[in-house]
Amino acid sequence: MTDLITLAHGNGGKHMRRLIEDIFARHLANELLNINRDAILLPEQNAQLMTTVDGFTVQPIIFPGGNIGSLCVHGTVNDLAVSGAVPKFLTLGAIIEEGLSFDVLNKVVKSLAQTANQCGVHIVCGDTKVVPHGQGSELYFTTTGIGYKSAVVDYSTRLIQPGDKILVSGSIGDHGAAIMLAREQFGLSGDLQSDSASVIPFCQSIYNLKEIRFMRDPTRGGIASVLHEINQATGIGIQINEASVPIRNEVTTICEMLGYEPYYLANEGRVVAVVDANVAEHVLATWKNLPNGHQACIIGEMTEQHQEVVLQTALGGERIVHQLSDDPLPRIC
Amino acid sequence: MEQSQLDDCVDATELEKMLLQNNSRPIVLIKRKPACRLPQNLAPGINRLGVMLPSSPLQYLLCRYFRKPLVATSGNISGEPIITDNKDATKRLANLCDAFLHHDRAIVRPADDPVISYNNSSPQILRTGRGSTPTEYRLPVTLDTPVLAVGGHIKNTIALAWRDRMVISAHNGDLGSLRSQQTFKQAINDLQQLYQVTAEHIICDAHPGYGSTQWAGESGLTVSKVFHHHAHASSLAVEYRHDKSWLVFAWDGVGMGVDGSLWGGETFFGRPGNWQRVASLNTFALPGGDKTSRGAWRVAASLCWQADVDYVVPASNAVDSLKLQQLKMIWQRKMNCPESSAAGRLFSAAAALVGLVQNETYEGHGPMLLEALAETTQAEAIILPMILDGNNVLRIDWKPLIMMLSDTTLPVAFRARCVHETLAECISRIAVQYSEQHNDLLIGLSGGVFQNQLLVQLVRQRLHTQDLDVVIPSSIPVNDGGLCAGQIIEYYFQ
Repeated sequence: MTDLITLAHGNGGKHMRRLIEDIFARHLANELLNINRDAILLPEQNAQLMTTVDGFTVQPIIFPGGNIGSLCVHGTVNDLAVSGAVPKFLTLGAIIEEGLSFDVLNKVVKSLAQTANQCGVHIVCGDTKVVPHGQGSELYFTTTGIGYKSAVVDYSTRLIQPGDKILVSGSIGDHGAAIMLAREQFGLSGDLQSDSASVIPFCQSIYNLKEIRFMRDPTRGGIASVLHEINQATGIGIQINEASVPIRNEVTTICEMLGYEPYYLANEGRVVAVVDANVAEHVLATWKNLPNGHQACIIGEMTEQHQEVVLQTALGGERIVHQLSDDPLPRIC
Repeated sequence: MEQSQLDDCVDATELEKMLLQNNSRPIVLIKRKPACRLPQNLAPGINRLGVMLPSSPLQYLLCRYFRKPLVATSGNISGEPIITDNKDATKRLANLCDAFLHHDRAIVRPADDPVISYNNSSPQILRTGRGSTPTEYRLPVTLDTPVLAVGGHIKNTIALAWRDRMVISAHNGDLGSLRSQQTFKQAINDLQQLYQVTAEHIICDAHPGYGSTQWAGESGLTVSKVFHHHAHASSLAVEYRHDKSWLVFAWDGVGMGVDGSLWGGETFFGRPGNWQRVASLNTFALPGGDKTSRGAWRVAASLCWQADVDYVVPASNAVDSLKLQQLKMIWQRKMNCPESSAAGRLFSAAAALVGLVQNETYEGHGPMLLEALAETTQAEAIILPMILDGNNVLRIDWKPLIMMLSDTTLPVAFRARCVHETLAECISRIAVQYSEQHNDLLIGLSGGVFQNQLLVQLVRQRLHTQDLDVVIPSSIPVNDGGLCAGQIIEYYFQ
């Protein structure tokens, strides 16, 4: 039985060669990837390069709506996309825990390859390590992304003005809630899936607009953390209209039960954009026409009325959205 | 209502009648008459009504011409301060009312109506407000530099103190709302301007998530932190002696404890600046964290499961079996299940267990229903086991109480009464034990749980039979509205 990864698959010898050839090289093959070289030359292009790096440690590694393979592509290409670059190349670092099954690894890498294909990126080099059982959590990936700058604006919080509108490309909290459900077998029937997806189409569709100020994919910490980041960088207040924030019923239910707020849950396929009020409706219409964009919404605006991140509730109350703390303790006495 | 209508509705004592006529025209909580013809859905299940005589000329006119009691509520959105601007009111309260009657005089400083109740013939302020704030107190000590204590997170009040003077602001509300936070900041500026005193040091609660604590951190001034229940205990020293040994029961909902866990059923021995935690409730999980503050059923279920009893939701469709199953999963896996020794949550759970309410609609809802019901009957106390833990804290085991509460063969009112008798007995046993060991010991009660008049009365009766007295804050709110005063005393002695 050679079903499980052993330490021998990381020792540099023939087992490792097999692991790389049978799984990584097989699925990820493309004209640039050459497993016999230490470094590769990227094709020249008459554009500015942008790069980013991200590590992936999600548990469980396979979850409703995705897996760590698809996630490590989406996470990194999305970081490039919201920064104004069309992603082109990825490098892949894999840390595998001894005892992971070949089948699972194969499935994940296959999905990784398909996702890369869909996103139009090539995996151009990689590295594999195997760590002893108990020193990892099945499988970790690190991906570096390289892309060509394509947006007409250098997106920055510095461009944000009072009156600018804030949009989100779809329902929030799906990934965080789906992961919790997958981890905890919550007994909630329903088909909640991670939103793990590429946001390239959303970003690219507005690269030509000079009225776009800033974009961010609200991953860990959810949209609340992105809004706080914007609030702190600009010093301008943010008013969010609770009724207009798209949240799936399943996400509301699980949050209600657990005492969490969807605003803090991770997303892996959404964009938050701050845009000039004059183009807000145009951006919204553009996004709504994209696949997966039907739930896009204008959720609020930058305001001079106050300096906080404020959620206007359905009853007309105005609640302060706190920054996520390390250990959210009950406050109500 | 007008004074002549009082006797139709409530059983007011002479003291209560006098208090109603006080210049500040407070809302006084008075026992409702069984024959009272006001609608039953007014404060349902509660046997007291908040009564107020007209205070402004407009109210005099309204009462005179209407000639019947008027039911009033404050012009605010739940959890927010009252709205003081006509335009704002028209816009934000449009969904809630049919008509507006505006005055042409602008409101410069918002203040709620003060709320007072009589607890064994001494008035107890529950909420500071119009006509009585800023309230000035003489401190039992003298401060070197002016300080500002910023209080808690809900029912926030702040205190400015310099030399031997201390002034407490009106009620600023729940700092989770933008407007309360604005009122809170305005109060900080107003108090300092009004008294021409500039604070040089800030005192706040130890909970990092409180709006007041966060403001303190950003104030640019030096900050001292005071633990929530130490502040409750020390608030007694404003009105009573600070230089004697105390045994204080600081019981409320949750507050951040010295060990980082959520305290709320604590007993301290010592004096301001040097409190030793000597007794506490056994801890239990609060599944869903802050959700338990309105979800009594969550705490009830958690207590039952810890006591190895099934939680059977009493004839109510408020909680379905799927929800209960989901809660159990959360509880088993300890997802957002902070541990707490909060006595206030125990009262809420008891209200759920006897079937009074599963989802509370306002703070203290369950405990108030439980108190009202308990007043209708008699019961004997259960003696709860108490065992010293590794930190020399006497741990009160509440499990026998859960067994009693789950016993559906007992009448509901009996169970409600038994909770009160049992916890009063528990307090009095600890107090008697400490009084035997320490001469001249002062016994105090502080924290929101002691807004429960029956509980206080039962403790007092028991201690009186032992020739012991017990005190409770009177002119300072016993609830979190009194934290700021306690913070100042505790800071001075630390």
